Amino acid sequence: MTQTPQTTPTSTEGTGRATSGRVPTRRAVVNRAPWILVSPFLILFLLTFVLPIVVAIGQSFTTVTRAGLFGEEGVTSRFAWFENYRLVLADGNFVDSIWRMLLFGIVQVPVMIVAATLLALLLESASARWPGVFRATYFMPYGIPGVIATILWSFLYVPGLSPIIDVSEALFGYTPDFLGAGTVLWSIANIVTWTYTGYNMLIIVAQLKAIPSELYEAARVDGAGPWRTAVSIQLPLIRPALVLTTVFSIIGTLQLFAEPQLLQTVSPAIDSQYTPNLSAYTTAFAYNDYNLAAAQSVLIALVAFVLSFAFLKLTNRSSR
Amino acid sequence: MRQVTRRELLGMGLTGGAAAVLAGCTTPGTTSVNAQPVVPAAASGEKVTLTYWAWLKDLQKVADIWNAKHPDVQVEVSWIQGGNDGGYQKLYSALAAGGGPDLAQVEMRTIPEFMLVNGLVDLRRYGIDEHEARFDPTLWSQVSYAGGVYGVPQDSGPTGLYHRPDLYEQAGVPVPTTWTQWAEVAPAIRDVGAYIDAFPLDDTSVFAGHAMQAGATWLRATEDGWVIDMAGEATLDVARFFDAAIDDDLVTTSTNPFTPGWYAAAAHDKIASLVGASWGDALLQSVSGSEGKWRVAPAPRWDHGYGSSFIGGSTAAVLANSAHPREAMEFAVWMTTSREGIDAMIEHSGIGWSPARDYIGASREGPSEYFGGQRYNTEVFQPASKDQNPDWQWWPITQQTFNILGDGFRRKATGGTLVDAVVAAEQQTIDVFRQKGLTIRKAEGR
Repeated sequence: MTQTPQTTPTSTEGTGRATSGRVPTRRAVVNRAPWILVSPFLILFLLTFVLPIVVAIGQSFTTVTRAGLFGEEGVTSRFAWFENYRLVLADGNFVDSIWRMLLFGIVQVPVMIVAATLLALLLESASARWPGVFRATYFMPYGIPGVIATILWSFLYVPGLSPIIDVSEALFGYTPDFLGAGTVLWSIANIVTWTYTGYNMLIIVAQLKAIPSELYEAARVDGAGPWRTAVSIQLPLIRPALVLTTVFSIIGTLQLFAEPQLLQTVSPAIDSQYTPNLSAYTTAFAYNDYNLAAAQSVLIALVAFVLSFAFLKLTNRSSR
Repeated sequence: MRQVTRRELLGMGLTGGAAAVLAGCTTPGTTSVNAQPVVPAAASGEKVTLTYWAWLKDLQKVADIWNAKHPDVQVEVSWIQGGNDGGYQKLYSALAAGGGPDLAQVEMRTIPEFMLVNGLVDLRRYGIDEHEARFDPTLWSQVSYAGGVYGVPQDSGPTGLYHRPDLYEQAGVPVPTTWTQWAEVAPAIRDVGAYIDAFPLDDTSVFAGHAMQAGATWLRATEDGWVIDMAGEATLDVARFFDAAIDDDLVTTSTNPFTPGWYAAAAHDKIASLVGASWGDALLQSVSGSEGKWRVAPAPRWDHGYGSSFIGGSTAAVLANSAHPREAMEFAVWMTTSREGIDAMIEHSGIGWSPARDYIGASREGPSEYFGGQRYNTEVFQPASKDQNPDWQWWPITQQTFNILGDGFRRKATGGTLVDAVVAAEQQTIDVFRQKGLTIRKAEGR
């Protein structure tokens, strides 16, 4: 430390630092200032972000055993190495839930991104009427909380309440089953697509607006029509936005929770481990097994990380 | 001596705080309150305020009746989410943090789960035994474990057969009194476009109720550990019975009782009957245009076992961190067994069946307008509450077993069987017990 301690604690210097008893050198103050300025952020970041992650990882390596009927003969916690991870990976339902989400993502994410891109291009095309109104309308589902959206949609899915099923029965004599074992995943995909297409569209629109108008003018001078402009100018230039929305969607897919959790009450096909997050939630809060739940959470984070990283790697390589 | 600067003080505070946070990260619920000395009763004249977290509605109105008479012991009720919908999560975290209310609403089946985290006070140490005679003996045994009593039964639900006489008449079949007869008349009910019942694949508490009625006891706490008999003959018989019923399309599995789809089906005359608990009476009234159409009969019987089963049911349990367990217990006993307590809980909170041995509540003694003037409580549910499987007990991972079983039952839709699900769930339950270090073995003779 470069501080110089002062021998007289009751200094008469009018610096207002009388009680401190030390006068740090200027250099030390300069060195320390940034840390002091970022400390409110750092402390919150450590306590609410880093610490919980560290604790979760720690918990995932711990196991608690109880003796007797209810643990009245003693409870011990010990370091378990990878025992919790072994149990989680041996749990077929949990592994199934990850595969289920991958299937969901492979279908739903491209559908949503293509739809969002199409909407954005249409709204930003020269011939669009009232783009502001439509932009707000498409974005509106995102303003509805996922929980409310799911309740709304569930009324369109439940037989006996759903006008869609009634109309289909009356017109075609066919009764669609939106909540069966084979279909409910796509009913959830429908809700997610409905909610997030507008949001992703907005990100793409923002990127489209950033394209300098000279490029459009140059394209027009070169004789490019709207189709050619979209394919050769707009799509290549909104690439960063497309990569961003896709990565967010991949992460979002693995974190799917509210929709299946709520649809559970109307669809017997959704079990307590339907999605990875639902699985971790059930393990932690219905079974009180925080250690296994921590292992599940760490695995979910790892899978999301690997997938996002792989996607970024892939897009980086192909752009070169 | 060198003075400590403010900054150093702040630094020490942060380090200390972080250390405390880390120390708090050890897995909670590892010390037992029941090994510590008994908390003495409050001195006379001392003001005691009790808190009670429950999901019953308007329970404060019930507490107010007690508060008016007991100026020294005031009870404040806070509403929490029902059970696994968030209430337990809140209770578990409060317990882990060393706090929580004096009393909490805990379902019968969840009592052992709270015991596993050392969350409950053994009320025998506070003299609950003198009140034992006031409670239904079956429910009493469902709160008694390992020589202690861990909750005050608050409400429950004996099962009966809710049915639509008009639909049965249209089908030309009698209301069944046995399950065999139930299976015989079910096709006729299908012929008039209705189902005899809905079988919930994912809410296995109903299946557990049927097994309970058939005389099964899935788990028993003995001195040398737990004994499991989940895949015993009684339960497998019930599973085979409903496997056949589902295969023959006698019951619907696409919707669970008291869910939106079920209400819609019931309103369109597509549900002819329902084996359900007594608290279903209030839910049934939400079926639009159903006034006067339903009646209640005793539940169909198996050729062994009992006349009815209890589905659902909750307790008022004294939590481990209560500073006044004796007063909390006295309030809970008053609330659940005194006439004024029971009547107020029925009127304000709409509780299920009262656990009191000799009083069902004044408003339940008369004829019911909704059920076409039938005195269904005294006719059906009161005898049903006496004809129960007395051996049934819950276990520390009841919810997990139910979920495992429910996940297995769902495979019925894709070619699995209930029988396979029961056998697999027994094995998985054993695995989870062992993983937690608890002793468990299969029942003898199997």
